[in-house]
Amino acid sequence: MVWRQALIIGALVLGAVIAEVTVLSRLGLPGATPDLVVVTIVAIALAMGPTQGAVAGFLGGVLIDLAPPGDTLLGVNAIVYIAIGYITGSVVDPRDRTVPIMMGIVGLAAGAAVLATSGIDTMLGSDRVSWEDVPGLVLSSALYAVIMAPVVILLVAWLVRRATPEVSVT
Amino acid sequence: MLSRRTRIVLAVLVVASLTFVILDLRGGQGPFASVRTVAANVLGGLERVAATVFSPITGAGGWWSDMRDQAAQIDTLQEENSRLQSDLQTLTGDKARADALDALLRVSSVGKYRFVPAEVIAVGPAQDFSWTITIDAGRNDGIEQDMTVINGDGLVGRVLKTTASTSTVVLIVDSSSAVGGRVATTEEIGIVAGTGRQDSLEFQLLDPMADVRKGDALVTFGSKGGRPYAPGLPIGEVVDVSGAPGQLTRVATVRPFADVSQLSVVGVVTRPPREDPRDSVLPKSSALAVTPSPAPLGAAADQATPSPSGAPEQETAATPAPTKKKKASTTETAATPVPETGN
Repeated sequence: MVWRQALIIGALVLGAVIAEVTVLSRLGLPGATPDLVVVTIVAIALAMGPTQGAVAGFLGGVLIDLAPPGDTLLGVNAIVYIAIGYITGSVVDPRDRTVPIMMGIVGLAAGAAVLATSGIDTMLGSDRVSWEDVPGLVLSSALYAVIMAPVVILLVAWLVRRATPEVSVT
Repeated sequence: MLSRRTRIVLAVLVVASLTFVILDLRGGQGPFASVRTVAANVLGGLERVAATVFSPITGAGGWWSDMRDQAAQIDTLQEENSRLQSDLQTLTGDKARADALDALLRVSSVGKYRFVPAEVIAVGPAQDFSWTITIDAGRNDGIEQDMTVINGDGLVGRVLKTTASTSTVVLIVDSSSAVGGRVATTEEIGIVAGTGRQDSLEFQLLDPMADVRKGDALVTFGSKGGRPYAPGLPIGEVVDVSGAPGQLTRVATVRPFADVSQLSVVGVVTRPPREDPRDSVLPKSSALAVTPSPAPLGAAADQATPSPSGAPEQETAATPAPTKKKKASTTETAATPVPETGN
């Protein structure tokens, strides 16, 4: 049963990573690239629980750094996404999972992800981050995440229910 | 509060991530580098497939910038329309323009760069602050590390790493990028550094007394053996100079000729020309900067070549062209190169 969960988490995260670098980042939208990976991680955490959320976060972080043309420090995204997966999975009470609340959570998570990765990169001595751009990236990333949230969350929840009937968080 | 299992899973994941960060910070080769290579191969293959499947969607990409440019485009088109109408009445004017265009195209093939054409299949997320792209040509196509990447407008970047069928290209606007540049007209040399912003580069002059003016065009200085940068490729146009001559730090802001946010087809230079073409690849533009031509060149010429800076009526030339036109100019009138695998 654990394997089945691992498989579906892996497939969802891998799909999100590939779609993000081949499609979303090429749309040329203003500001940040729509962070489908974060939205998927949050969706998994909400549908399956905090531990599964953390695993999804780790996988997503490592894959987005490894997938070409990734050129960032491997592991930074993973740490941030683990925290996001775990926290969103454990903080949200299953009873008040209404769509607006979930959209808000996804938006917060996407904004926090940009802020956290930029902060960690800077602390580790990278001079790539231009902080005057960060507020715009945080806001745009949060906005795109909110837009993608309902579809992705419902889709992931449906897939998880179909594939692993024994997981019943909701 | 935490179950034992959750605690263990969390601890393992965080320790693994921290290990990655530390190993990656140390850099260098070792078992870790090969993991990266294997992962890049597998994921790169998946991206190739995905790029093909999703090509209808990404083909429609750029709609946002198209929309943003539409107001400017309307102005440009109206201007062009009235110009065309007056030109119609004077057929000789048309003839002269056609001749000018022909001349431009002839000169632009002087560069004689051999290149492998490739298509962009993936772009790094903007929030990573790294300007890198993946192209669908790799070692099997003769791509090697540190080869120069160009498009029809000018220098795009260099190959950072390769897999069998894909390569990662770091663009000139990435903040880690530094290219040896030369002012086309005055031969002054300096370093063109990326700023991390898509539309500006920084040109640091080696000689603080050098005379650099707004509108000057920059070409690559060239590296030993043509790597990582082949000589004589158009880089961009000076849009702003800060500091007076003689000041210790003189920096010019340069707008790259290639619009890196709208790349579709690029060429990887597999063999640079035997001789440095100097600035002949920047046809007319340098000559025009000295003696501006009385008749403005047609829109088509503007698309095909770097803008002959300075003259106000040419200002629109450097604004990003719509994707479709850009593609056409890349494949048909590609400034520099003679395709190697083309026919």
